[in-house]
Amino acid sequence: MDMQIEDLMEKAIKYALKLGARFVEVKGEDTVTGEIETVNKEVRTVSEAHNVGIGVRVFYGKGSGFSFSNILDEENVLKTVEAAVKIAKASAKRALIKPMLAYAKAVEGGRSISVNKHPREVALDEKKDMCVRQCEVAMGRDERIANVRSRFGEYHGTIYYANSEGARAFYEPILVGLGVSCVAKRGDVIVDARDGYGGSFGLSAFEEEGHTPEKMAENAADWAVEKLEAKPAPAGRFDALINSDLAGILAHESFGHLSEADFVAMGASPLTGRMGQKLGADIVTIIDEGVPKEGGYWIPFDDEGVPCSRVEILKDGILSSYLHSRETAHRLKMSPTGNARSQDYSFEPIVRMRNTYFKAGDWKLDEALKDLKRGIYAIDSAGGQTEFTGDFLFKAVRGYWVEEGELKYPLRDVALTGNILELLKNVEAICDDIEIRSGPFGGCGKWDQRAFVGDGGPHIRIRNVLFGGAK
Amino acid sequence: MMEMLLDVGKKAVEHAKRLGAEEAEAFLYTENFVDVKLVGGIFASRGGVLKGVMGALARVAEPWIKRRGIPMVKGGMRAGVGVRAIVRKAVGFSSTSSLEEKDVLKAVEEAVKIAKVRPPDPKWASLPEPKEPLGQGGIFDERIQGLEAEGMLKLCADCCAAAGDFDRRVTYTVAGVRALSVYAGVVNTRGVEASDRGTAFLAFVYVKAKSGTDETSGSDLIISRTFTENLQGIAVNASQRAVECLGRKPLQGKHVGTVIFENRSWGELSSVILASSISALNVQEDRSAYKGRIGEQIAYEGVSVVDDGIMPDGIFTSKADDEGVPRQRTSVIEKGILKGFIYDNYSAKREDRESTGNASRWKFLGAPPYANPPTVRPSNLLLTPGRGSLDDLISEVKDGVLVKGELMGAWHSNVITGDFSVTATNAFRVKDGGVAYPLRPCTVAGNFHEALRSVTAIGGDPKWFVNVRCPSLIVENVVVST
Repeated sequence: MDMQIEDLMEKAIKYALKLGARFVEVKGEDTVTGEIETVNKEVRTVSEAHNVGIGVRVFYGKGSGFSFSNILDEENVLKTVEAAVKIAKASAKRALIKPMLAYAKAVEGGRSISVNKHPREVALDEKKDMCVRQCEVAMGRDERIANVRSRFGEYHGTIYYANSEGARAFYEPILVGLGVSCVAKRGDVIVDARDGYGGSFGLSAFEEEGHTPEKMAENAADWAVEKLEAKPAPAGRFDALINSDLAGILAHESFGHLSEADFVAMGASPLTGRMGQKLGADIVTIIDEGVPKEGGYWIPFDDEGVPCSRVEILKDGILSSYLHSRETAHRLKMSPTGNARSQDYSFEPIVRMRNTYFKAGDWKLDEALKDLKRGIYAIDSAGGQTEFTGDFLFKAVRGYWVEEGELKYPLRDVALTGNILELLKNVEAICDDIEIRSGPFGGCGKWDQRAFVGDGGPHIRIRNVLFGGAK
Repeated sequence: MMEMLLDVGKKAVEHAKRLGAEEAEAFLYTENFVDVKLVGGIFASRGGVLKGVMGALARVAEPWIKRRGIPMVKGGMRAGVGVRAIVRKAVGFSSTSSLEEKDVLKAVEEAVKIAKVRPPDPKWASLPEPKEPLGQGGIFDERIQGLEAEGMLKLCADCCAAAGDFDRRVTYTVAGVRALSVYAGVVNTRGVEASDRGTAFLAFVYVKAKSGTDETSGSDLIISRTFTENLQGIAVNASQRAVECLGRKPLQGKHVGTVIFENRSWGELSSVILASSISALNVQEDRSAYKGRIGEQIAYEGVSVVDDGIMPDGIFTSKADDEGVPRQRTSVIEKGILKGFIYDNYSAKREDRESTGNASRWKFLGAPPYANPPTVRPSNLLLTPGRGSLDDLISEVKDGVLVKGELMGAWHSNVITGDFSVTATNAFRVKDGGVAYPLRPCTVAGNFHEALRSVTAIGGDPKWFVNVRCPSLIVENVVVST
């Protein structure tokens, strides 16, 4: 099979050049996604999906085109090349700018990481047991727990890359995740809470203290029960302490997307033309990289064959780099950073983040909390969104009202909103407790594509954040 | 095409039986699409990105520039099969991105293998039985199959031009068009052999406008089963939305009270929270606020909601759902009273009743349908319109806030409790029956279920948002802050 994909990729490149393409690249994929879901100890879903195919992108004159095939024989692959060339010819007529690629050294060879208990070597039973144990522990924790759902997910296989400049390489992605969510009920009051852990590692990660299935289940159950007593967060401006998960959403959704160079090159991002400017407090450094040591999703090179470098987007508060594909790097006369990614072989590469996080500072969490005189400690996220104007919203699923550094009472879901460029100036404390997380559920959406990403950071304290409570 | 799909499906389920499955099902899917976006259609002339000679040229050649940008074009065919195999109440699911016989049979083998090693689901009864379809299926527009990148790029270019011509303050536009034709089939060992085809045409326009330091955005979209050439309307709407928000002011303090939700905005919240709350599976598993409330007044008496899987122009209309059960019309809320839930085969058999034909494998941003096992989802969710335009609704409000367009964060609402907290970037202060001034992006927070009870008026202006068709409405007791 492996030889076959690489042979077909070779043929596709030769054929595209013959049809007049000035550049061609091919992504090959042979991956598996697996999922197990248990509800109240009963196994509901056990599923797996095989994703095999190749995607072809060609540059022809001023145009570019993309097509793909999941039928891996010579006839269909060559048809796919023809379709991509035809699309490129059509798009050439509407193109304002001729797309050019910045130089990238042709990537070669294979990359993989060794993990302990790779999911493909672990029996279904053992994975299923983790889910069942989570349900048992959470249900036994409190009689007000009405429903428990546990999910295990895995993704692995091989991604191939080749282009007409001589690149020939592959890597073996891996991602696992385990999560549990609990619904608690008291009379008419329904609340939910969850915990989870995931990243590019083997199943031995779930044997480590703090990340065992049991510990996550206890957390989710306790948090759900606590939320039964929670009050709606007040609406208005308060100082905030946010945890790692929320820091990650802020780094990724609110800031990271604006630093994606395709938006910059189009003039859509508010970071356009602001390189070298002071955008945040001195203590703020935001990084995006493919292989962080703190965890996350491991990506050695992107879908243009460019090694994933460590990018300090914001360095000590100063805008220092955008995230680039080869195309945006050429257009903005900068260097590619390895940020061109596609959901799978059936999508073209676009500028995406990898693992985006706030660099750790030197505050201790208890000190950062102690100095919070009147405000909200916001914890864990249900996601977020941002506009090109820099206006953002993200949602904390737990929280506490804080007075004089003391947690007074728990809060229900609360939204934090504002403009990211104002918020970054108001960061006053960054702690040393960094975490970066990833997982096979969710991921990041852009245009019509989803991508696995990691995000995180330490606890961060921010002045004057707008909370949109319900009361 | 449909015969080919059913043939592959029959071979698949027979193979599963041979391997020891008691029941088996194959879902076959193909999707042909062309997707075109034209990004930054007019920024070059007004956004100041091109400097010097290029900038001067751009100004001279504005009409030419406006119809160009950065094209992003792709097309192809996604195809695959999802197989469910059942051995002693244990359901194994496997899928593959191929309809080639050898790959399909391999997926069958994987599904059977999983079914044999996983523990049973005590709540599993059986796959659905065959039934005659109730509807004719949805519209299949041959024109969509024939669309090509070049023509679609021209549509996008015209959109960008129309959006830019609307007002000098429009600085940036993105237009996108996607044409999609789908053929799908389901075969199972109980005799189900269902197949159908459909087309979809999606278009969107996103616009940014700038005046002084204030920068606003606006968007509009069309989701339809049929091709439409006239996209000027959404281009103008998007631009109007962005421009009418220029000069935004903050809210004086917090507004707690009347909020008018435009059709699309309320549709977006409904497509997340209402869609989840009426799923029988969520009710059964304590993940819906509607559990145990059938027959109760859960909404204002003007609120009626129907799930209609057989209306010819519904985007999710088909003869059968994604496990071969006929689509139907199901009353969910009638004059504010909760009438019933929507079911797939699994959730229906748990209550010993009939499926309402609401099995779906569709996922927002993610794996294609064949790669997902079925679950309960609305087909076309219709909120019955009342009377009057959005302006008529505004004229009834003395002191309130009007929320239009996209709501940021709607997708992150709590679908169990119904709590929502969203940011509206196209919002306005309403005073004495008219729009007073645009508001800075504001947070709009409340509880969807409480909001349904506190609706005071429903407009007669229904609009589609994905699979929800919803009119504008007035809600009390919502919290807005800027």
